[in-house]
Amino acid sequence: MTTEQLVADAGTGLDGAIRVAELRQNYGAFEAVRGISFEVRSGELFALLGTNGAGKTTTMEVLEGYARPAGGSVEVLGLDPVRDRRALRPRIGIMLQEAGFLGDLTVAETVAMGLGLVADTGRTPMDGDPLAAVGLTGKARTRVRQLSGGEKRRLDLALAILSRPEVLFLDEPTTGMDPAARQATWKVIGDLRERGTTVLLTTHYLEEAERLADRLAIMHGGLIHTYGTVEEVVATTGDQISFRLPYSVEDLPVVGGAAPVVRYAEGRTEAAYTVYGGTERSHAALRPLLSWADRHELTLERLEVRPGTLEDVFLRVVEESK
Amino acid sequence: MRTDVLHAWRLARVDLKLLGRNTTALFTVMLMPLLFAWLYTSAVDGEMAGLPARTFVLTGLPGMMLAFAVFINLVNSFTARREELVLKRLRGGQSSAVAIFGGPGLASLIVYLFQVALVVVWLRGDDGAMPANLPMMLLAAVLGTAVFALLAAAFSGLTPNAEMAQILVLPVLIVAVVLAPLMTTLDMMPEPMRVIATFMPVTAVAEMMRTGYTGMDLFGAPGGPIGMAEQWLQALPSLGVLAVWVVIAAVLARWLFRWDPRRG
Repeated sequence: MTTEQLVADAGTGLDGAIRVAELRQNYGAFEAVRGISFEVRSGELFALLGTNGAGKTTTMEVLEGYARPAGGSVEVLGLDPVRDRRALRPRIGIMLQEAGFLGDLTVAETVAMGLGLVADTGRTPMDGDPLAAVGLTGKARTRVRQLSGGEKRRLDLALAILSRPEVLFLDEPTTGMDPAARQATWKVIGDLRERGTTVLLTTHYLEEAERLADRLAIMHGGLIHTYGTVEEVVATTGDQISFRLPYSVEDLPVVGGAAPVVRYAEGRTEAAYTVYGGTERSHAALRPLLSWADRHELTLERLEVRPGTLEDVFLRVVEESK
Repeated sequence: MRTDVLHAWRLARVDLKLLGRNTTALFTVMLMPLLFAWLYTSAVDGEMAGLPARTFVLTGLPGMMLAFAVFINLVNSFTARREELVLKRLRGGQSSAVAIFGGPGLASLIVYLFQVALVVVWLRGDDGAMPANLPMMLLAAVLGTAVFALLAAAFSGLTPNAEMAQILVLPVLIVAVVLAPLMTTLDMMPEPMRVIATFMPVTAVAEMMRTGYTGMDLFGAPGGPIGMAEQWLQALPSLGVLAVWVVIAAVLARWLFRWDPRRG
């Protein structure tokens, strides 16, 4: 998808809960976000993926109203996050990548304080026990400073959903969680989605994005490089054919229109091809490869043909940007 | 506005709860005014400005105590909470900046009023009198707390971490201790010092507290007992000084305060 298409999308969507158009943001001379555009539709979960320093958190913080954009425009629920802060805050939930707690309060007191602040705005807080929702009931009387990193993230999530937000910002929500806690968090997010909550998520875990996201964008160096549904994004990469040879071999063939990516290590050759055009094209590419191996009396060790993954796209984006 | 008040009250209650859990801080809050009262009253004897010297000193003590109960406490609190990203969390929640500042400010006011009450109890034990103008004493406490809370917000922006806060508060502390008309009336101070002290918030608070407690004209040069209306009339310059300081401190706070930790 081209930048022009992204801008057009961001400007014309009828039910966009979040709209970002040509967003730019700087830290001094460093340009952290360099003109990105995307739209998150009402009720969908949109994931922002990217390397460290890609600009994900900066983008989130502009949308959350922590900073004014240096250029471009953003809207959340049709409101300006900075100018319309008072109207917007009761309608959104924020789970920051890193934020502190009042460590001498207990977990229950921290949640009670959050519930009180929500109630004071006139908004009805969430039904049920927030601590039960994130699996912290057993820690209710524990001082927050005694929680583990993963438990603090769960408490963070509980606080973010207290106001039954229409839009929920989750910045790396499962970092530091064990697999069970991560599954529980995914369930909470899934339940919120069922109730129509729009979610903007950043994560380093690609399987998290593949599992949860309706659509996603991959950022690198302050730009969006790929954008669409998981299937659409994965379709931008081809099938992967890879093998290993026990010697250093040069002049590997071009197959299926793809040149090999070759790596030499400890006297071995590791080769990988990305073949575009679907399974038939990959199948067809194997024949000349095997013929080439026969002709040179080589055995293709660990020969593998597999469909492309989100990780392949991610790595390609990083590689192409170097 | 109503939400801001409710949020500030809720945040103040949390601050007081946390104070109650910190034995050292709680002990300091209770002991400090009594320690000051003992320290200063044991150094004076006889009469000052037509009052027993002990009464004169004790009634002016709340001016100086602002620097300890409100200023130092809040510089530490704002700085530590900024560095620990607590302010960032609060700013990302439902509360406005006014409520986030107002909560700790309100808690400091309550602690300060408690300390003033301890001094009043000490005074009652000394001379058996009751405050003559309680509303004036309360107004002095509220305005004094507002000035020093806003100054604390400004100073926290200059302070890289909670440890450095102990050093950076010293200039304000020294000014408050040296220029507060605690052991003497303004007219007894040497000329350059008297002019500066006249425009200091600690002086305005000390004089309003003193007149509010005794019912005597103790603004600038001391006079005799005056009626309620005359007390308020004489307090107008002090109220003006405090109002100007609220504006100055608010401008400084807006300019210097930082929500996020320093990077790099």
